[in-house]
This record gives sequence, structure tokens and C-alpha cells, in this order.
Amino acid sequence: MCLSPGAHAHETREKDDPNDVQLSQFKRILTQVFLLPVLALLVTAAVLYWHEQSANATVELIQQSDARVSQTNLITRLIIDQESGLRGYQITGDERFLQPFLEAQQKIPQEFAHLGDTSTTDSQRLYVAQLRDSQRIWEESFARPVIATLRGGGNANDVELNLRGKVLVDAIRAQTQSIIEGAEKRRSDRIALWRQQVRDSVYALVAITLLVGILVGLFVRHRLHQVAQAYRTSLEDLSRHSEEVFQSEQQLRATLDSIGDGVITCDSDGRIAMMNPVAVALTGWPLATAQGRPLQEIFHIVNERTRELVENPVKKVQRLDAIVDLANHSILIRPDATEIHVADSAAPIRDHNGTIAGIVMVFRDVTLARRTQEALLASEKLAVAGRLAATIAHEIHNPLDSVSNLLYLMRSDCTPQESVQFMEMAQQELGRVTQISRAMLGLYRESKEPVPVDLKQMLEEILLLMERRIGDLGVTVSTQLPDQVVVEGFPAELRQVFTNLIINAAEATGKGGLVTVCIQPQLANHAPGGKVDSGATVVIADNGPGISPDVQANLFRPFFTTKGEHGTGLGLWISRGIINKHAGKISFNSDISPARHGTQVSVFLATKPVINAG
Amino acid sequence: MPHSSHLVLCIDDEQVGLRVRKILLERAGYEVVTALDGVAGLEIFATQPVAAVVLDYSMPGMHGGEVARRMRLIKPDVPILLLSAYVGLTSEITSLVDLYMTKGEGPPVLLQKLRTLLPLVTAS
Repeated sequence: MCLSPGAHAHETREKDDPNDVQLSQFKRILTQVFLLPVLALLVTAAVLYWHEQSANATVELIQQSDARVSQTNLITRLIIDQESGLRGYQITGDERFLQPFLEAQQKIPQEFAHLGDTSTTDSQRLYVAQLRDSQRIWEESFARPVIATLRGGGNANDVELNLRGKVLVDAIRAQTQSIIEGAEKRRSDRIALWRQQVRDSVYALVAITLLVGILVGLFVRHRLHQVAQAYRTSLEDLSRHSEEVFQSEQQLRATLDSIGDGVITCDSDGRIAMMNPVAVALTGWPLATAQGRPLQEIFHIVNERTRELVENPVKKVQRLDAIVDLANHSILIRPDATEIHVADSAAPIRDHNGTIAGIVMVFRDVTLARRTQEALLASEKLAVAGRLAATIAHEIHNPLDSVSNLLYLMRSDCTPQESVQFMEMAQQELGRVTQISRAMLGLYRESKEPVPVDLKQMLEEILLLMERRIGDLGVTVSTQLPDQVVVEGFPAELRQVFTNLIINAAEATGKGGLVTVCIQPQLANHAPGGKVDSGATVVIADNGPGISPDVQANLFRPFFTTKGEHGTGLGLWISRGIINKHAGKISFNSDISPARHGTQVSVFLATKPVINAG
Repeated sequence: MPHSSHLVLCIDDEQVGLRVRKILLERAGYEVVTALDGVAGLEIFATQPVAAVVLDYSMPGMHGGEVARRMRLIKPDVPILLLSAYVGLTSEITSLVDLYMTKGEGPPVLLQKLRTLLPLVTAS
């Protein structure tokens, strides 16, 4: 019973599921969509950082220019302090006016050093050096001589001298002015540069933002498009799968409805879940009533002979965890108390974890088959007798002919001596008839219980019945039948078996052939292969052509015959049934090689068999 | 007895039956010679002046039908009465012989049938 077609589909889908592929793709796309903007923002940040760094450098340069301007201004002020101090001293001759001059003179070298530090180019350094020289020239060639003159009590109001001093100061002024102008120009250039940089940063930022935005947008759009595509495919798959599932479910339902056997499914508690129409017809319970009820209530089966309740199939399947053929010879009792013979099997329904989710029972009405089988068994019994009919007629007619001839002779004139002789002969011939009829009856009269059967006696009677038939076939029979080998069994059935086997052997070997019949007693022993019961093996061997392997394979199949219309094809099938019933064994050993051709049939019968009631 | 000179050949594998039949036919005035199988019977048939044959059908080795066929080849005119324990032999076999009867029909029938056969011989 197929559980569900989905189970198969599920397995295959696990191997390479397009949906799984799409899912991993989707995850990758999600990661990409997350990572790409982060990456783009990082790049943007790096660009901004670089811009900021270069702007900072420019600002530092501007600050440098500022420092140079203020330093130059400081030096200019100090020089002016010197000049005004000197002038005050010139005018008053008071040393106190000289105080600013002296203080500035002290500071100036240091401040020039500072100004020198702000120089970055050679020309700047040159300007500073020139200024320093001019100041030194003024100080040494004008200021100091003037101070020395005044201290010496001289006069320093000489116009010529003062004009020279003025020229020197003017030169200094011009130089400081040029340094300041230079620095300020550089400063304004740098400010312009800084502005340019800021502007560039903004442009770059806007451009990068636009670019990244567009890129991210396009990328996300592309990826989301893929996702949408995958989603659509999934949806289509899903709808197709659901359509397939629906179709297969319909198909299954139709199959179950049209199947010739009854099908019942139960849940794991043994309650009826589903019954097909045949099951409904066979059990006699409508589906609506049966659903949810315990199986045993609906599918009430008992043993044909003992009338005992058969083990609940649900329990049996759960106990054995396998498909089980249920007890043979079961009878289903229907609600209206009618009974039908059923053959059934039950199988577990497993969910995808492999646990038993329920069971499915398949069963059919074998009442007709059973009756047919019984009829077949009876007809085969007749067929065996039929095979012997000619012999039996012959065996009876021959002695009867002699007896009637003898009676005729006795009625006509004969001496008392002759009469006695004729009577003895008639007696002898009638004895033959009795023997034949007894052997024949043995084929039919059956005991209810197994009885002791002397194998030698039985086989001799069979051979007697068949003597004529065997003679007609031109076959020689040799026997090796020890006395007192007794097994328990049903004699008529055993006669049927051996009659079949011996006639088969005789017919197989044909004219001039040899059939041997022997009994091999066997004692009980405990062989390594298992316990062997005491009993006897009857071996019937012929030197016929042998049985080809393909025929051998079919020997025990019902209706298989190699004898055309002369055979029923049931002999060996029934023989095996009878031997199985006697807990015995029947086996063939055949050789078709030209040198050792022949067939050997061995039938083992136990002394005290446990009869398998049919 | 008019038929005292007639030699009748009886062939049957049943020893007792053959012996009783011999006595019966001798009492009826025939001269009787017997054989237990077809081969021996054919030999006698070929060598002795047999007037009629009473032949059993079922015999080991060679059945009565075959024996009758061979006899017809040797002496086609000798009448053959086929006796059989079987009921319903095929016409293929019964057509080979002059008369056919089933064992157990009784001695009067046998003697009567044999009488119908032998005058034909004397006539020819």
C-alpha cells in the first residue's frame, strides 16, 4: 500500500530543492543590500576625512601667515619704540627717554629669531635678513653714534645726520611693509585655497552621495527584482505543487474507490479513519457509522475453526512493526450475522519521522475461492481414482470372468474332485476382488483423526491397484519396503499422494523403464542444523528423462501440467498441501543429463506429526 | 461334436483366467493352445493350424490390438475374438478384430460368439 505520493516527492525535493536555492540566494541578496550602503558610506567618510585633513593643513598655513604678519608688526613697533625713544633722548638729553630704546634693543634679536621661524621660503628668509640688516645698520650707524654723541655732551641735531637716519628708518618701514604685504597676500591666497577646498568637498560630497545613492539604488533594485522573480517562481511552484497534490489525491481516492479489495485505514489508536466502497460492502457498515469506531467492532474477524477472536490487526502491526499477513482461515462476521471468509493483510502507515501513524488493512472475500478450492480438492481426489479406474475395472473384471467361467463349469458335469479345485480357484479369484476393493476404498474412506499407517502395507496396496496400469506402460517396479515402519496420518490422503507420485514416475519413465519405491526409516537426532524428528522417508525414483529446471520451478503450482488434457495440474499442488498438513516434507531431485537422467521424489513423514489442520 | 477338430489359440497374461478358459473351451469340444503374452501367441499362430483366436487386450509388452494387427498380416482370414477387461476400447482397435466382448459377460456369451466365428472358417 502506497502511503502517499507526497512522501516520495518530499524526499526528492530535499536533495535539490529550487526553493532552497532561492532561499540561500535571497539571504545573499539581503547581505549584499545591507553591506553595500555601509561600504559606500565608508568610502564617502574616507573622502571627507581626506578633504578635512587637507583643509586643516590650509588653515594651519593661514595661521602661519597670521603669525608672520603679527610678528612683523611686533618688530615694527619695537623699531618705532627705539626711534621714538632715541628722538626723545635727542630732544631732552634725559636718559629716561632712552629707556624704550634699550628695552626694544634687548627684545629685537629674539623677535627677529621668531620672525625667522615663520619663514618658509628662501625669499621670505632673505626679506627677514635684509630687515634685520637694515635695523642693525640704523642702530649701529645712526642710533648708537647719536647716543654716544649726546652722552659725550655733543650735539646731535645735525640735519644731515638726521636725514640719514630718516632714510634708514624709511627703508626699514618699506621692508616691514613689504614683508607684511607678502604675508597677507599669501594669507589671502591660502584662504582662497581653503574656500576652494571647502567648495570641492561639498561638490565631492554631493557627487559621491549622488553616485552612491544611484548605485545602491540600482543594485538594490536589481537584487530586489531577482527576489521578486524568485518569489513569483516560488508562488508558481507552490500553486503547481498544490495542483499536483490535489490531482494525486484525487487519483488516490479514485484508485481506492475502484480497487477490488476492501481497504480500511485506522489511526494509531485503531479507530477507523477511512473505508473504500468494497470495504463498506464487505463489512456491511456504512462509512459514516464506522468512522471513529474501533476496528474490531467493524472488522470483526474470528478463526474459522476455533471461533476465537483473531488478534487485533492494529495491535499486531504495532507489536511486529511490519507488514503482516493476518491469520489464515479468518471469518468476517457482519452486523447481520452473515459470515464471509476473508484473506487480509495489514501494513503500518508511517509519518515522515517513521513512527506508526496508523495502519492500512487490505482484505477480500475469499468465500468463493475457498469453495472452489474445496471443489478442486474433491475433483482431484476423483481424478486420482479416474487414473486408476481402468486398472480397477480390469482388476475386477479378470477375477469375475474366471469366477463366472468356474461356476459355469461346476454347473455342467464335473467330478467332485474337479469341483473342489474349481471352488478353490473361485475363492482365490474372489479374494483378489476383495483386496482390490479394499485398496480402492482406502482411497476414499477417511478417518477423522490421524491413525497409525503401516507404510509398507499402504504402498503395496497402491502398487496392487496400479499393477495393471504399470504393466500397460511397460514399466518395471522394484521395491524395498521394510516391515513395521508406521507413521501417524490420514491414510486416504497419503494414498492419494503416493498414487500420484508413483503414477507420475511410471508415466515419466515409460516403456522399459524402472521405478523404485523404497522406505528409509529415520531415527530422531539432534543434528547441528536443528532437531530432526523420527519418521520415514519414502523415496520414489524413476529413470525417466528427468525434469527440466523451468518445469521444476512450477511443479507445485496449481493447474500446471505437462500432460495436456490428461492432467488436472493439481496433483502435486494437492500432494504438497497434504504433506504440509502432515508436517512432512516433499522434495524433488532431478537430473536431465543423458548419463544419469531420472527423478527422485522424497517424502518425509514424521512418526508422531503435529497435524497442521487444513 | 462338429467342431472337435478346431484349434483355438487363447492369449492372456492372467494365468488363472487362462487356465479356466482353456478348461471351458475344451469341455465345449475345442482343442485349445495357450500363450501368456503376445510374442509367444504370435509364434504359435504362425506355426500351428489355428482356427480362431481368443485374445486378451491388456497385456504387458504388447497389447491385444497390436497382436491382432500382426496376426492379420500373417493369416488375415483367421477370426479373432478380442476379450477385454476394459470397457470402451476405441473403434481403431475393435475394427481390427472380428468380434469384441468384455470379460465378465459370462461363458455362454463367449461360447456363442465363438460358434458364430467358426462356421465362417469351415465355409471358406
